[in-house]
Amino acid sequence: MTAPTGEASVLGAPLDSREDPQLLRGEATYIADIELPGTAHMAILGSEVAHARILSIQTKAAEQMPGVLKVATAADFTDVMPLPCIWIPGGVESHFPPHPYGLPGARPVLTGDTVRHVGDAIAVVVAETPRQAAAALAAITVDYEPLPVVTRADQALAEGAPQLHEAVPGNLNAYWTCGDKERTDAAIAAAEVTVELDLVNQRTINSPIEPRGAVGDYHAATGEYTLYASTQGPHNHRFLLSALVLGIPFNKLRVIAPTVGGSFGTKGYLYPDMALVLLLSKALGRPVKWVDTRTGLMNSTVQGRDHRQHVTLAGTRDGRITAVRCTSHANLGAYPSTIGPGVATALMGRSISGMYQIDAAFCEVYAAFTNTVPLGAQRGSGRAEAAFLMERLVDRYAAEIGMDPAEVRRRNLVPAEKFPYDNGLGWTYDSGNYRENFDKALELAGYADMPARKAEARTRGKRLGVGLATYVAICGVGPSTRMSQEGMLGGTWESANIRVHPTGEVTVTVGSASTGQSHGTVFAQVAAAELGIDPANVQVLEGDTLKAPYGQGTYGSRSYSMAAPAVALTARKIRSKLVRAGAVFLGIPEEKVVYAGGGVHEDGNPENAKTFAELAMAMWYGWGLPPEIEPALDETTHFDPPDFNYPFGSHVAVVEIDELTGETEVVSYTAVDDAGNIGNPKIVLGQIEGSILHGLGQALMEAAEYDTDGRLITADLTGYALPRAADAPFFTLGKTVTPSPHNPLGAKGAGEIATVPPAAAVVNAVVDALSDLGVQHIDMPVTPEKVWRVLAGRTAGTGGTGGTAGTGAAAGTGTEGGPR
Amino acid sequence: MDLTLNVNGLPRQFSAEPSELLVERLRDGLGLTGTKVGCDTGQCGSCVVRLDGSSVKSCLILTAAAAGSEVTTIEGVSGTPDGPLTGLQEALRQEHGTQCGFCTPGMVMALGEFVDRSAATGGEDAPTEPEIREWLTGNLCRCTGYHSVVRGVQRACAAQATARQEG
Repeated sequence: MTAPTGEASVLGAPLDSREDPQLLRGEATYIADIELPGTAHMAILGSEVAHARILSIQTKAAEQMPGVLKVATAADFTDVMPLPCIWIPGGVESHFPPHPYGLPGARPVLTGDTVRHVGDAIAVVVAETPRQAAAALAAITVDYEPLPVVTRADQALAEGAPQLHEAVPGNLNAYWTCGDKERTDAAIAAAEVTVELDLVNQRTINSPIEPRGAVGDYHAATGEYTLYASTQGPHNHRFLLSALVLGIPFNKLRVIAPTVGGSFGTKGYLYPDMALVLLLSKALGRPVKWVDTRTGLMNSTVQGRDHRQHVTLAGTRDGRITAVRCTSHANLGAYPSTIGPGVATALMGRSISGMYQIDAAFCEVYAAFTNTVPLGAQRGSGRAEAAFLMERLVDRYAAEIGMDPAEVRRRNLVPAEKFPYDNGLGWTYDSGNYRENFDKALELAGYADMPARKAEARTRGKRLGVGLATYVAICGVGPSTRMSQEGMLGGTWESANIRVHPTGEVTVTVGSASTGQSHGTVFAQVAAAELGIDPANVQVLEGDTLKAPYGQGTYGSRSYSMAAPAVALTARKIRSKLVRAGAVFLGIPEEKVVYAGGGVHEDGNPENAKTFAELAMAMWYGWGLPPEIEPALDETTHFDPPDFNYPFGSHVAVVEIDELTGETEVVSYTAVDDAGNIGNPKIVLGQIEGSILHGLGQALMEAAEYDTDGRLITADLTGYALPRAADAPFFTLGKTVTPSPHNPLGAKGAGEIATVPPAAAVVNAVVDALSDLGVQHIDMPVTPEKVWRVLAGRTAGTGGTGGTAGTGAAAGTGTEGGPR
Repeated sequence: MDLTLNVNGLPRQFSAEPSELLVERLRDGLGLTGTKVGCDTGQCGSCVVRLDGSSVKSCLILTAAAAGSEVTTIEGVSGTPDGPLTGLQEALRQEHGTQCGFCTPGMVMALGEFVDRSAATGGEDAPTEPEIREWLTGNLCRCTGYHSVVRGVQRACAAQATARQEG
């Protein structure tokens, strides 16, 4: 009994999201909407300087401000442990600020001696109202002794650079490698053709529209703490906060995730505020609430990307890639975030060869601390950085050998018969038909018509450019043992519980927690399909550690390929039990029991039957069951897959550059993604569309920019550009389907995968449009100003930079390295 | 200062500090938490409400400046708390024009004015995609890429035109 017996129409159907009506009515409860009786309000004082010793903090004036209940500094929390980091680069020596449990340690909940980035939390005020708390912050005086500042990873590793942590000599957290260095170096040395690029994958800010927030509620009578937080992983936060930060028993902390207003990776991290609201609630005997501002978010919530890379590709004159090598300087920010060091190394490095069969590959990452906001995940994290470097290199190589970039790609795609495919960097791709996927994308995009479109655009004063990008995105994190080898300190399995109530309704409870992915809709579809019942009959609960089975949370596009399989397997346990019990109730041998439409009947005798509701009631009563069948229907599964899954895809960007203004407009965008079997195409469509626009944002406008003093000068949405509705046309989307063998649904990650290639596709398109000027590369974001300078340089007769084919990176901008 | 606002059809009297923002009054003072605060600088549009029919960002207007006006928040859109979804809301539901939903109330309020205006033209000309996107530029969404929202507006306007022809 392995195949679903349910209605084929339920799973894979574009059912309307059941979450939508309450969202459209503004009825969903987000963290800022929670108002417990007696709530006091917390505000956090972040450091105004990027690097300094704190000489003194004067809080007296603040304490006397109206409504102020408490002002606290690090001195108030000496018995609280620092927030730990749980994903370190596997297999190499790492240096961290210490944590008492011997874990890779991290930041204290409040900084007492040395601040290391603007926004580093120094003090908190709790007051009767949010306005009073904010006003009192201004009355706290901090005396700083400034220290030298460094904001770039490569500069932090240079001789004489400012030192951030005593425990981290030279600011080097870890030197991590994957692949075969000797083989790769040899292949590059022996190659007919080599191309190189220096790339800046600029730091970006995820910018969920809902800022983070937390409410702490301590009950003195029971000694129990409740944390409401905008979190992607309530169980994980419970585990980390209780044992490793507060030093309280695991069973004394309950974590509840309300409706979460977007995350894209950032809300799975431990932040000081989560501990502070709990500690202060206990101190004051009242619930304590904190809601961040946008500027606060930008100065304290983890940021993404931020690699400086030197990359090399080797190949033959006839278009066969023989080696790829990457040296990257990754900027971890001021402290190791909860999983940031792993993101910056394994997720990026093991992914660099993408969809290509390459004999020799090697990646080395120098992960460094700097005076910037800690680094974390961002939609497509690691994999987007990898796809960018590889796809830029492939275009560079194609230009060098004078071959169509589509043809170069086609010649190097991993052939369908090679799966499972070991990419030589640590990943074993599960399944795929890359050629089919790639050709479909070219066809949908009308790739053959591009020369005519370029000519037509010229008549309108536009330079049309075409950019291709392919990718493989490791998802389904994942196999716990495998993740332990990557340095993950914690399980990465996922769980589900299904209860069938006596009245025949079903409740599915999962350990993950939605941040906008309509889990309630999709998990109901999975359970309904497996049980053969109406999805309207299935309730889905998540996000409350008191109610849900243990789970690790929503990240890395894992809900449908980790939590949904747990739901499916649990439903199969229920079904299996109903078949065994059905044999008793129907008075027939088990092998004669047919499970269909949620009920059971006798094979060949449909009259002898029990409906789902009848079975549910009978199991509730438990009358007449033999000892080997327990009453009731309540099953749980913890799903730990045998390996990751590997969605992939091919994207085609077409841009038009205005000759006069340098403005780049994305005029069409085609994406063919393969996420295996899909549970609800309407939900996935929205995630794909949003992901692509996020990637276009990095390509065209987004950049977290720090000045030389370490101040984030893009600290609100007037300074940090996010794509708006007019920044892209409708996308042309297609799909291929190659199920993953690593879970019972054949699912692959979907949510963020389409964020992985757009930056590469767009920059490839821009370089294509400017290639006749000798431009070999242009750093992101591709702003009108940068492009205009290239165009103006041409008209001024200075020419584009680059053009020395074969070696050397050439930034079309002529600047030293991008947006900093 | 003592002020009166008509909120979702009901007169509300209260005392407010001169510096109070309308969004603070709605959320903290009146408990209408459907209106969201996303950015503090008027960029994201999550706090859009209708003020005497026009959609405005309630984080950019003082409560005092709105005194005496008719304010409609997302809670007032369906008429009653359990009233039917409006045509726009229904169209957005069918196109799944939400994900995390945080920006959604502001979008419903801003787009409500757009759809109303479209209806006021007699529905002769269906709004074009660029027109819809242009109207939407005041509302940021990080989840959807706006596509499903734009399709929702197209659907709502088309349904409105059909209803008018049939009516």
